[in-house]
Amino acid sequence: MDWEKLVQIIVNGTTLGSVYALVALGFSMVYGILKLLNFAHGDVLMVGAFIGWGVLGRLGGSLDPTVPVVLLIALMMVASMIGGGFLGVAIERFAYRPLRNAPRIAPLISALGVSFFLQNTVLLLWGADFRSYDTFDLVDPFTGLHVGVLNVWIIRLVVIASAFTMMLGLYALVKKTKLGKAMQATAFDREAAAMMGIDVDKVIVKTFFIGSALAGAAGVLVGLVFGQINHFMGFNYGLKGFTAAVVGGIGSIPGAMFGGLFIGLAEAFAAGYISNTFKDVIVFSILIAVMILRPSGLFGKAAVSKV
Amino acid sequence: MKRATTVLGLALLVAASIAATAIARPAQGTGLTAAEAINCRGASLGFAGPLTGPAAFLGQEQISWSRFAVLQYNKQFKTSYKIVQGDTQLSASLARTVGRQFVSNPNVLGVIGPSTSQAVISSAGLFKNAKLAAVSGSATRTDLTTKGKFPTFFRVVPNDFVQSPSIVNFAVTKLKAKKVVVIDSQDDYSTALSKGVAYRFRLKKVQVTTESVAATDTDFSSLVTNIGNDVQVVVFATQTAAAAQTLSQQLREQGKRAVVLGTDGAYSPGVFKPRNGYVSSFAPDIRLVRGGAAIVKAYNAFSKNKTFGTFGPPSYMATWVLMTAITTACRDGAATRAEVTANVKRTNLPSILGGQVRFTAKGDVAGAKFYVFKITNGKYTLAG
Repeated sequence: MDWEKLVQIIVNGTTLGSVYALVALGFSMVYGILKLLNFAHGDVLMVGAFIGWGVLGRLGGSLDPTVPVVLLIALMMVASMIGGGFLGVAIERFAYRPLRNAPRIAPLISALGVSFFLQNTVLLLWGADFRSYDTFDLVDPFTGLHVGVLNVWIIRLVVIASAFTMMLGLYALVKKTKLGKAMQATAFDREAAAMMGIDVDKVIVKTFFIGSALAGAAGVLVGLVFGQINHFMGFNYGLKGFTAAVVGGIGSIPGAMFGGLFIGLAEAFAAGYISNTFKDVIVFSILIAVMILRPSGLFGKAAVSKV
Repeated sequence: MKRATTVLGLALLVAASIAATAIARPAQGTGLTAAEAINCRGASLGFAGPLTGPAAFLGQEQISWSRFAVLQYNKQFKTSYKIVQGDTQLSASLARTVGRQFVSNPNVLGVIGPSTSQAVISSAGLFKNAKLAAVSGSATRTDLTTKGKFPTFFRVVPNDFVQSPSIVNFAVTKLKAKKVVVIDSQDDYSTALSKGVAYRFRLKKVQVTTESVAATDTDFSSLVTNIGNDVQVVVFATQTAAAAQTLSQQLREQGKRAVVLGTDGAYSPGVFKPRNGYVSSFAPDIRLVRGGAAIVKAYNAFSKNKTFGTFGPPSYMATWVLMTAITTACRDGAATRAEVTANVKRTNLPSILGGQVRFTAKGDVAGAKFYVFKITNGKYTLAG
């Protein structure tokens, strides 16, 4: 057994999985509350990545940052989370709220429309070229963990640590705070929650803000660890994040976290031990198997309806 | 009397039909009816390329240079050609839809592109049936021209039959490669090219491992984990320079010795800028070509200093070839697509990239070659 390879694959998969998990959380939170598949969510990640890139440029760029690197990364994350959050709120206000009582297909189409709108807006504003975070200029690729042939770049550790911190923070928010309880109540029964005095509109807005802020942060993490961003990047991450949310059980927060890590690790193991060519086939085969065996996902609860 | 009138009427109708059929016979052996010849004042060129989607950087650079060519040509020759845009988004099915739009638009007398090999495969059959010339500035897959399936397809760049030996010879003689990895990105262009490259490496007794990644992949870290430290070169056949850059970074991140040698799709000084790497290209960098400075200056003024790589200038030439062919066909005030295609075949124009643009009987550009650039800390220098 090549342990160093195994650890490297686990690190690769966890890095990717952390990003997927952050995206999956947004999908799951919105679905939990509105029963809406927000297909524009991947594009919020893309906008977050561009906001982070903009902050990086404003603060001197990777070669000559005007603030310490740790502070720079923190500022990029904060800016993209705020930007992503407000973008999510705007999407909810203008694209979904007017359709809240429409047939379920209407907001779905609206979500696709928002996705194209965001992609093409960024294309128009920043062009089609890939933009680079040039993270190697910011943080030396040899800074990190080195054991034998195992090399773990510190940025990967930063990505994993940041994602886990945000996920645990969200979990605590949902379980321990008044807002979290209101979110749970709204997800359980929107009308009953309103009758109990919960301002459902406010809860929905806050849910969109939090979910989209996580996507914005994920965008910066992608830019930092994989380097390249462009207007189309949200599609792939949105697709994988959605898959992760479904595998974990859409609507379930622990399910989204687990689903993201599971998909990331499955992808890394498939590429590392079976075949890189067929990694997506393997990942989506897992999705099909989970759906057949547990249609509500690994952490989801079967829906019970009164007949 | 009434019967006689009816018979006369029928006879006139038959005569009229025969006359109409005679008029509608292919004009001067072109295969098109005279009625299909269009007034040259409305003549347009279709542009088929990925203007949005994952390869939009390629299409945007090409259309910008094509627009620049049209502007210069119209000014110089007092013409009024226009470009009709067709966004293929790197999708074969969309390329076919764009192809249908161009075929059904009578003003389109020639097509710039399609940009990618898969788009050519899906749409060049339509162009063949419509006798519509398509001149690509970037589709390099070898069998687009060699099999004779697309007689109205031309390209101003060399094909992968030229690229494969250039890459392999460079890797073996200059980089002394004994063990290599060849990666394709699961599309018509890269699978054919990587197959050819791997085959030629094996002929030279180089140990080859082949891998494949999806065109949309942004993380190659697990693939990189599998690349041994004894591998010297990773040949990456990709249409996105960003993917080549990520692969190169992840090799370095995991402490691998191998360098990336990207194929022509990876040529982009602003994006693929490893500390140490190589890239092949179907065109020299126009900034390094004698006489290129003037056109670069004019383009920079036109585009307000838009960055560009090697995709734009060949697209400029493809546009110029088509406009020249249309102008020649339009000497009598009207032109057919078949006349334009025939004129494209006879092209003999000086290229902005040096030398002449002439086509072989199969539609390939005559005498073109591939170039290999060395990249050191993001700086490109010609190496082979």
